[in-house]
Amino acid sequence: MRQLFKTFKVAFQAINKNRSRSLLTVLGIIIGVAAVIMTISAGEGANKEVQDQISGLGTNLVMIFTKMEHRGGSHVRMGRPIDKRDFDILQKNAVWISKMSPLVNVGVQAAGPNGYKPTIVYGVNHEYFDILSRELALGDFFKEDDVKTANKVCVIGETTRKELFADLDPIGRQIRIDKIPFTVVGLLKEVGQGAMGQDQDDVILAPYTTIQDRLYGHRRGYDMIMASALDENSVANAKIEVSELLRESHQIRPFEKDDFDVMTQVELQEITGNITGILTTLLGAIASISLIVGGIGIMNIMLVSVTERTREIGTRLAIGARESDILTQFLIEAVVLSLAGGILGTVLGIIGNQVIYKLTNFYIPTAPYSIMIGFGFAALVGIAFGYFPARKAAKLNPIDALRYE
Amino acid sequence: MANKKVIETKNLSKVFKNGDIEVHALTSINMVIEVGEFVAIMGASGSGKSTLLNILGCLDKPSEGDYYLDGVHVNKLNKNELAAIRNQKIGFIFQSYNLLSRTTALENVELPLVYNRTGKFLNPAAHAKMALEKVGLGNRIYHKTNELSGGEQQRVAIARALVNDPAIILSDEATGNLDSKASIEVADLFVKLNDQGKTIMMITHEPEIAQFAKRMIYLRDGRILTDEPIKNRSTKESALLELGLTVS
Ligand SMILES: Nc1ncnc2c1ncn2[C@@H]1O[C@H](COP(=O)(O)OP(=O)(O)OP(=O)(O)O)[C@@H](O)[C@H]1O
Ligand SMILES: [Mg+2]
Repeated sequence: MRQLFKTFKVAFQAINKNRSRSLLTVLGIIIGVAAVIMTISAGEGANKEVQDQISGLGTNLVMIFTKMEHRGGSHVRMGRPIDKRDFDILQKNAVWISKMSPLVNVGVQAAGPNGYKPTIVYGVNHEYFDILSRELALGDFFKEDDVKTANKVCVIGETTRKELFADLDPIGRQIRIDKIPFTVVGLLKEVGQGAMGQDQDDVILAPYTTIQDRLYGHRRGYDMIMASALDENSVANAKIEVSELLRESHQIRPFEKDDFDVMTQVELQEITGNITGILTTLLGAIASISLIVGGIGIMNIMLVSVTERTREIGTRLAIGARESDILTQFLIEAVVLSLAGGILGTVLGIIGNQVIYKLTNFYIPTAPYSIMIGFGFAALVGIAFGYFPARKAAKLNPIDALRYE
Repeated sequence: MANKKVIETKNLSKVFKNGDIEVHALTSINMVIEVGEFVAIMGASGSGKSTLLNILGCLDKPSEGDYYLDGVHVNKLNKNELAAIRNQKIGFIFQSYNLLSRTTALENVELPLVYNRTGKFLNPAAHAKMALEKVGLGNRIYHKTNELSGGEQQRVAIARALVNDPAIILSDEATGNLDSKASIEVADLFVKLNDQGKTIMMITHEPEIAQFAKRMIYLRDGRILTDEPIKNRSTKESALLELGLTVS
């Protein structure tokens, strides 16, 4: 123990003697650790934002859709689509569900007095706004009557408004969706960009009846049903109930699998969490490569250092250092260097996160575990890449080392 | 009663093999060195002086023969035990000083104690300071090696060889890189240390320096040619006088 402490001191002296070279050596580690911390934190930040958004959807949310499967590169529908009959059955029988809205979406060309843009029209009913707790900036939502009579009215998002109306007040004005005139009755409150980069304000919401009649062409059924469970605690029950009702409605026999999916907000969170988790791991792994490169840098410098200090090593051996003393000395040097790199890299990474926040407004909370990973990796790299040069030093023959020019 | 033997060799031989070529660097060396002796080793270049000293210093192993250092049968020791014996029983001095660069005299002298595991030297700095004072460098303790003259550096090296209170000090041409005056200073230092009871063995090329010792072993082709006491030993004064210099 005492011996180890003394060896530490010796290692520190050696590093201190070559300060500028030591700093250059650790540069690779500094950058590597900073990169690991920043990428992992960015991944975590993105994940958190996605999760927040999904939470924003409402904890009671239950989504019901037709099961799709990838076949030959395209989505293929498995079995019967969710349709009006399903909707009616659920509405009539599901006791755990409070609100429901069909959802159909169509890609369209929208034109207003000041411009046009390709966008997506969502066909929904009046309860949709409640289910997703969307709020209005101007005007009003469309009403149950509008849905019943398939009125050509719509509520638009801020991005859509900007493109189609510029400075004009959109309420009461007409836009043409695939050449069909719709009257704008409401403007949604801006919610900003989604975490995946999609613009949540780039939407048009219209009664699904109207969309089905006018724009949906030959397609049958709904893309999905959005529903609200009675409260947070009834979500699981709602899911079971919906599944049972739909199996009945779709006449699925007991041994057959569902031909629809019911997903709750929690499940959605889990799935996206998995996706962003994979993304984060991938990014972190790529960043780790730079750490390994940094480690090779350390090994390189340590090898040079061993050669340069051959006589010193010879002297130490002649004076009574054991091989293990020399080995630990050089190992400690490598580890101290990489840990110093780890510390500086952590600082740099945290600063980097702040800078990104200042520049892009994308808030990245520095994930504590990213610091641990960066640090641990740095230490590991130090040991792994320091070991070879250290061993080389320890195995030197003292007489040859003393004679080394 | 005979004095205690510090070094005893029995039929010590060393053969270097380089492929097919065999170099018989040492052949049947038998010698005994007792406590308090001051031995000079001389001989032509290539006569095996350094080879002998490396073996005596436990840096190298003999090809044949036995070596006892301070009663320990060195042949039987493993690597770590050899390191320990170098650390505790031997003080090595080299021609090229071999100090740590850009490091203070004090830290250099402390170095053997860093590797000392006996727990005998609890305050390395104090021991190192004492050793530096013994070699007359009490006022250079915190100088870095590159701030010292060659003679001073060699004295730091001598202090380093002293600090662990070794059974014997082995010096391989300690004065080889120094001018005559500095060489005499170093030789005189050896005499003083010997007077204080240190056992010293030094290789030298220079007869004037060898003349400071009490006994001279002359090697030729790896064998001991002569081994006799030195009559009319030099002193610092006589050596300086010979150089035409006066005592400063
Ligand atoms: N590692 C080695 N491999 C092969 N031969 C060696 C080795 N070391 C020494 N020798 C040979 O052994 C012989 C004695 O060498 P040594 O270094 O002991 O001489 P020396 O008396 O110290 O000479 P000098 O006064 O020049 O230092 C020489 O012929 C030398 O070439
Ligand atoms: Mg020699």
